[in-house]
Amino acid sequence: MTRQAAITMDYGHDLLFGTFITPTARPVSQAVELTRFAEDVGLDLATFQDHPYNPGLLDTWTLLSYAAAKTTRIRLAGNVLNLPLRNPALLARQAATLDLLSGGRIEMGLGTGSFWDAIVAMGGPRRTPGESIEALEEAILLMKELWDTETRGGVRSDGPFYPVSGAKRGPAPAHPIQFWIGAYKPRILKMVGRSADGVVPSLSYLKSGPGELAEINKWIDEGAEAAGRDPHAVRRLLNIAGQFSRTSGGFLVGPARQWSEQLADLAHRYGVSAFLLGSDDPETIEFFAKEVAPMTRELVAARR
Amino acid sequence: MTDYGHTLEFGVFITPTADDPAAVVELARLSERLGYDLVTFQDHPYMADRLETWTLLSWVAAATERVRLSANVFNLALRPPATLARAVASLDLLSGGRFELGLGAGAFPQGVAAMGGEVRTGGASLRALGEAIEIIRALWTTGRRGIRFEGEAYQLVGAQPGPIPAHDIPIWIGGYKPKMLELIGAKGDGWIPTLKYITPEDLAAGNRAIDAAADVAGRDPREIRRLLNISGVFQAEAGGLLQGPPEQWARDLRPFVTDLGFSTLILMSDDAAEIERFATEVMPALRDAVADRPVMTVKRAAIRAQRREGIDYEGTPAGIRAIEPGDIDYPRVKSTYLRGGAPGIVLQPANVEQVIESLAYARRHPDLPMSVRSGGHGVSGRSTNDGGIVIDLGALNAIEVLDEATRRVRIGPGARWMEVAVALGQRGWALSSGDYGGVGVGGLATAGGIGWMARQHGLTIDHLRAADIVLADGSLVHASEAENADLFWAIRGAGANFGIVTAFEFEVDEVGEVGFSQLVFDASDLAGLLERWGAVVENSPRDLTSFLIVSRQRGGQFIAVALSMIASSYAETILARLQPMAQIAPLLDQSVYLTSYASVMANAALDDHAGVGEPLSRTGLLDHITPEFAQAAERLVQSGASYFFQIRAVGGAVADVDPDATAYANRAANFSVVAFGASPSRVEEHWPALHDHFEGLYLSFESTRSIERLYDAFPPRTLERLRDLKGKYDPENVFRDNFNIAPRR
Ligand SMILES: Cc1cc2nc3c(=O)[nH]c(=O)nc-3n(C[C@H](O)[C@H](O)[C@H](O)COP(=O)(O)OP(=O)(O)OC[C@H]3O[C@@H](n4cnc5c(N)ncnc54)[C@H](O)[C@@H]3O)c2cc1C
Repeated sequence: MTRQAAITMDYGHDLLFGTFITPTARPVSQAVELTRFAEDVGLDLATFQDHPYNPGLLDTWTLLSYAAAKTTRIRLAGNVLNLPLRNPALLARQAATLDLLSGGRIEMGLGTGSFWDAIVAMGGPRRTPGESIEALEEAILLMKELWDTETRGGVRSDGPFYPVSGAKRGPAPAHPIQFWIGAYKPRILKMVGRSADGVVPSLSYLKSGPGELAEINKWIDEGAEAAGRDPHAVRRLLNIAGQFSRTSGGFLVGPARQWSEQLADLAHRYGVSAFLLGSDDPETIEFFAKEVAPMTRELVAARR
Repeated sequence: MTDYGHTLEFGVFITPTADDPAAVVELARLSERLGYDLVTFQDHPYMADRLETWTLLSWVAAATERVRLSANVFNLALRPPATLARAVASLDLLSGGRFELGLGAGAFPQGVAAMGGEVRTGGASLRALGEAIEIIRALWTTGRRGIRFEGEAYQLVGAQPGPIPAHDIPIWIGGYKPKMLELIGAKGDGWIPTLKYITPEDLAAGNRAIDAAADVAGRDPREIRRLLNISGVFQAEAGGLLQGPPEQWARDLRPFVTDLGFSTLILMSDDAAEIERFATEVMPALRDAVADRPVMTVKRAAIRAQRREGIDYEGTPAGIRAIEPGDIDYPRVKSTYLRGGAPGIVLQPANVEQVIESLAYARRHPDLPMSVRSGGHGVSGRSTNDGGIVIDLGALNAIEVLDEATRRVRIGPGARWMEVAVALGQRGWALSSGDYGGVGVGGLATAGGIGWMARQHGLTIDHLRAADIVLADGSLVHASEAENADLFWAIRGAGANFGIVTAFEFEVDEVGEVGFSQLVFDASDLAGLLERWGAVVENSPRDLTSFLIVSRQRGGQFIAVALSMIASSYAETILARLQPMAQIAPLLDQSVYLTSYASVMANAALDDHAGVGEPLSRTGLLDHITPEFAQAAERLVQSGASYFFQIRAVGGAVADVDPDATAYANRAANFSVVAFGASPSRVEEHWPALHDHFEGLYLSFESTRSIERLYDAFPPRTLERLRDLKGKYDPENVFRDNFNIAPRR
């Protein structure tokens, strides 16, 4: 196979393969069963969207907790949790609790929130894009503080979004929980580079296709460097969707070999190191775990 | 002396310490094993050495199976009600209805402030709690559009209600102040004080305050459960209250139950030995000591307010699930697939004895409509009603093999045909039923069953060998060719008039892989297409059964979809059968699969029914699709009066059966025609032109209820015999709601 002179990026993370499961309330146990299934077929991660204003979905934090208790190995995260309808101080304690209960299997997928009418309908705040990014960064820093039990004294902050007055530190999670942020635009990406541990965009939202990932990386790297951080500290995750078929029918529509090559290419060109498959279909999930994941790992290892 | 009549329950109250999370979970599991009813945790989110209570409860719910769970009690100030409501409903759903909601106004303002929560004190915090209860209850109710709530503490602007919890979650409230007790009396479902902080005298006074407030609010004080957090010391020598040997504990606790009305006792302890001792020595002794107290549940006034007239709600047979209009499950059961309903009560018997009791209960209400429901797909919609009683057989859904060699199976009426197809498919068997997997066994197998293999294997009822039936007088009879043969004849075509079938015994067919095809045609020349399709079907070998659906596309174009099953696993045979069919009109799309009968039937989601309004469906059985009939059908479809027009093939094996052998008598017909419409008058305008061509009618597709339909459905001789048998088996005409055959006395 011939390859174009490759522009490559590689942030050196081990490759992760996971699912992006609909937390549907009907049938009620579907999401939990799919999580167990994802674990059984060997995936690394199970993630769920969070739309607390949508009555057709289960509450994502509850589901994460319940699913974590029903599994033993797989790691879990929101993809991504809706900050405006969750109190970050409480969320820090929740995440630490679940991380402790699950033996260190929880990561913090978090986002600014975007459906403001629905958020306000639930009694949440309405924020401008700028405010929502500031609130998110404030929440990240607050949560990190609350997890930091090495430092003495309560956590204080004047906000403006989340003022706390001497909140006690702890419990400390079982492992350093990663902040993975849903983000697309320069300003928030720079914030990710500065303050978070990962970015998790959805491929289907990239208007100009996978090429946009280079832009995303650029802003994150810039943000990281400006803050004196190593851009490698930020994992690049990606929500993907596709179809398994015998013959090729476009991007991520085709046989396992094609999927693997296309994913390896994303890893190679844009440093994507975690692929989260949006699917509620066990057959597709199994195909992804058993055929695509190992082949992609091989291809990426060969090129690294 | 007060006793509110609730069942006696025991719980534990465990400290959620963060230093050994596994130990906390293990205490909860131990409590479940020891027979406690309830595991509760305190909620102090500002304390950093505690596990976060919501997360812990979710985890423990997943790690247990039976025990119910609650916070004791949630700090409202840090848990806004709208998101809390969804979370609670989610956990209740995930745990199979094991979550109860303990709520408090949120003490420790400093802790709340430290966490960035809104600090409310005194009256404001109480008002917030009152608002929260309203919001939570509103979000747990369906049927409403977005919720608007203009409160002092909380504002919602159009939040969508849902998800609905798995059970009617009680809201238990902790607190002591007079205003709090008033709120509990007005809005709560339970009061949870802690014995450490209150004297028995004050408990009695608290109860009085709650009862008075309940009265003022038009509630029955018995709606409110009294729960008590207790703690003590086990020791050999007798000491003060709850300080002594287990026998003394039981003696000490007894008056709290019988005189003060505290029916849930929650042991505050983190000591496994103490939790075990209480369970094994105190609980049984106390249960014995209070065994003779009368127990009853009183539904919330808000639920009782929605009751319908003339129904004996207090007298429903014990042990049978009964759902009334105010109940949380009511929206799930009130309607059927096609018809909106508003029954006064839905009984869900779980076994034959309970069916008999349900029928006896219904018969105590002779003037109310009574509906029998299996899968709820009845086209006439008579498996629900307005203000009457529904006997819902959904739980009688067992599928068992009686004899491998003769392929004899026994199936409950509540099973759905897609489930039956899967169970039989595992053995390489199938039973031709109908085209839709969601349809229930009970309605279809008492009427006919025109399915994907009708021409090859006959009607579903042609495979029936025996049935168990509960008759109007409450007797359970077995019917077969050998036993109650006349009844056996009647239930194969007119079953709804004769009783409640509680089990069907079928002899099913060996069926391997089958061909299934979908051909989409341009139906511009509809009449010609219908005629040609009819001719192809009639000329095809029996292994082909085809159903044709005509509909109008968005652009106004008419298309026809022929769904055909070929009962053969040979590709050549399948393609050979489809060849002539493909010629009947210009093909727009086509697909053909080699598949299983079960896969074809897996076409439904077994969701709750949400039908609205009245169905409108007309039907008739037809010998041949003549040019005249085809033109009449074309006029009907082109008029737009029927939005869904379908013709199913019958004939073949169906016609092999002697018309006198079953109550389904119109055996000669080759086709069954169905038209769904929206406007009765518009359908009526065209229908007579079709009706002229019919030779009978299959009741399962008819929604109009005039007596004429009986004459259409049953030839005179059949109807005569049915009248006689109705007089014999249901002389008082108990089963009259669906195409009633008047009994001859
Ligand atoms: C989408 C759809 C597709 C269909 N396709 C087909 C088809 O291809 N072929 C076909 O033959 N029919 C078909 N039908 C019609 C179907 O057979 C009837 O509607 C049937 O009555 C549904 O059975 P049920 O148990 O789901 O209905 P229910 O609504 O539960 O019952 C319907 C009626 O049957 C009676 N009944 C129910 N259970 C019992 C019982 N245990 N004992 C005595 N009487 C009882 C009652 O009078 C009740 O009103 C279809 C219906 C729908 C809605």
